[in-house]
Amino acid sequence: MQSIIERIEKEIAAWTPQEGAEEVGIVRAAGDGIAEVDGLSKAVLSEMVLFDPTFDRPLTEALKDPAPLYGLVLNLEEDSVRTVILGDASKVYEGMLVRRLGRLLSVPVGESLIGRVINPLGEPVDGKGATGAQLVRPIEREAYGVIDRAPVNAPLHTGIKAVDAMIPIGRGQRELVIGDRGTGKTSIAIDTILNQKNEPAATRPICIYVAIGQKESKTAKIVAELSERGAMDYTIVVTASASASAALQFLAPFTGATIGEYFMEQGKDALVVYDDLSKQAVAYRQMSLLLRRPPGREAYPGDIFYLHSRLLERAAKLSKERGGGSLTALPIIETQEGDVSAYIPTNVISITDGQIYLEANLFNKGQRPAINVGISVSRVGSAAQTKAMKKVSGKIKLELAQFRELEAFMQFSSDLDAETKKRIDAGRRMTSVLNQPRGVPMPFEMQAATIFAAINGYLDSFPPSEISTIETKLQDYLTREGDGILANIRESKEMSEETEMALRAALDTFITRHTPVA
Amino acid sequence: MIDTYTRLLETVAELEDAPTADHAVHKLILHLRSAGRMRMLPEIVRELRKIAARKHALRPRVEVAHEKEATHALAAAAASGISATRAIVNPALISGWRAQKAGVLVDRSAKRALVDIYQNIIA
Repeated sequence: MQSIIERIEKEIAAWTPQEGAEEVGIVRAAGDGIAEVDGLSKAVLSEMVLFDPTFDRPLTEALKDPAPLYGLVLNLEEDSVRTVILGDASKVYEGMLVRRLGRLLSVPVGESLIGRVINPLGEPVDGKGATGAQLVRPIEREAYGVIDRAPVNAPLHTGIKAVDAMIPIGRGQRELVIGDRGTGKTSIAIDTILNQKNEPAATRPICIYVAIGQKESKTAKIVAELSERGAMDYTIVVTASASASAALQFLAPFTGATIGEYFMEQGKDALVVYDDLSKQAVAYRQMSLLLRRPPGREAYPGDIFYLHSRLLERAAKLSKERGGGSLTALPIIETQEGDVSAYIPTNVISITDGQIYLEANLFNKGQRPAINVGISVSRVGSAAQTKAMKKVSGKIKLELAQFRELEAFMQFSSDLDAETKKRIDAGRRMTSVLNQPRGVPMPFEMQAATIFAAINGYLDSFPPSEISTIETKLQDYLTREGDGILANIRESKEMSEETEMALRAALDTFITRHTPVA
Repeated sequence: MIDTYTRLLETVAELEDAPTADHAVHKLILHLRSAGRMRMLPEIVRELRKIAARKHALRPRVEVAHEKEATHALAAAAASGISATRAIVNPALISGWRAQKAGVLVDRSAKRALVDIYQNIIA
């Protein structure tokens, strides 16, 4: 009791009346999460305002609901401003007082957010109390310029063989994950986060998963999985669920980028997953239409491209002078019926440094991840690929593309020549090797060793249907008996001649032990 | 067009010169009649009502908790650039005063102080 009294006395002693006048406005109209406010003649774009329900109510009523309700100024008009309400819009009423806060919309950032689930305003939603983050940063800011950046040169391993071998991602890159619903887009992102556990603690990226317009149950499941697998130790989840206002869904990716930038500026690496930007675009369209901005193609506003380009441009690899940190972005886009030529997908494809295209047909055939290698590409990642991976994965993409061609012919002809049959079997075997269930990311040294075995014919004596079993046995064997080889690859990040010879010897032994009896 | 006429009448009204205002309204009606646009008149009236309501909401206003504080409040508000002819008694302020005009608020009431302290404590 004494401490409470002391706390209150301290507050009373510290209180000083606000000097000068405040700038305020009056809500003229409110609805659909938008408020039109008279009187804020000096308000600036993206400024935060506070809807004050205490102004015209008696004190006892005013204190019943003291939670602040913020708004964001998005339209400056001739004699009023239009704001989006960041919270429960039903609490805003005509005649309500609105105060200018004189600061751009900002969110808390810092190490204390790691392991937490927050909303786009930085408020905790995981029931673990205040985040304790002291620093705040504006969520909208200009991206780093050319001088401040360095080329992407370090790999960000996803732990997914097909991605790390054929569509490598570099730290600081923006790689789009695109596909229909239910094709495994989120799985790729989550596996990438889980795989960072395999990275040394010093270089492990801080991961930020931004859930936009997702079901609360799906986000809860993801958080549970990340916690269970120990990935929340380096992950922050920002969630604006499907039930959140359009304004919060629009802001969520910017919050993720702001938090990621903080770590980048500390010289660390960060990874941010935007799951997904299609829903953000829909939320922005809703807001824009309610703000009476003119609609364009598919009713999206004219600045929808700029919305995504200014967000994704914030992903960067900073120069040494700037600390050398990086922010990698994995935006996700959901297509309809595989149509990548729709408005938002083409926009984001043109902004990013490559895309991983997931196909429903491949998914239904049982390929995991269901990546269409033909149209998936990484424009800068190969420069960041480790030498070991580059050495073993050089020809895979071409071979797989040839296999897909032959596979199409195979449906029309059962009488194939030996060479074609051999190529098809090799393609099937490679497809099986690249098949990887969800939630089992693989360290890159193991990926390199497995792919080395596959492309050098060590698995040719096994039928394609048995490849996955053999692969598991091979990995067990290498973990048990080839630890020195794996450690070598891991540390040097390349496949030296000695390592290659040792690996070949280990593989020969393995094959001798496991070759099927004719 | 409606907007232009409304702005014109608003500007005339700001002159606070009744004969000029009457003359302007008369001329406008004659113009609308000759142009066959009398249908615009109700729209113009609606817009003028909106403007009047907005001006009313943003008018200079001084509130005091008790009648006895009125003189001091009016003088203090005037010193802050908000001049009103009389103060309105609002017991919800508990004590002190507050003044408001066209997007500017000066709040020296006990209620505001208590709300601030309360919010700082629970924050």
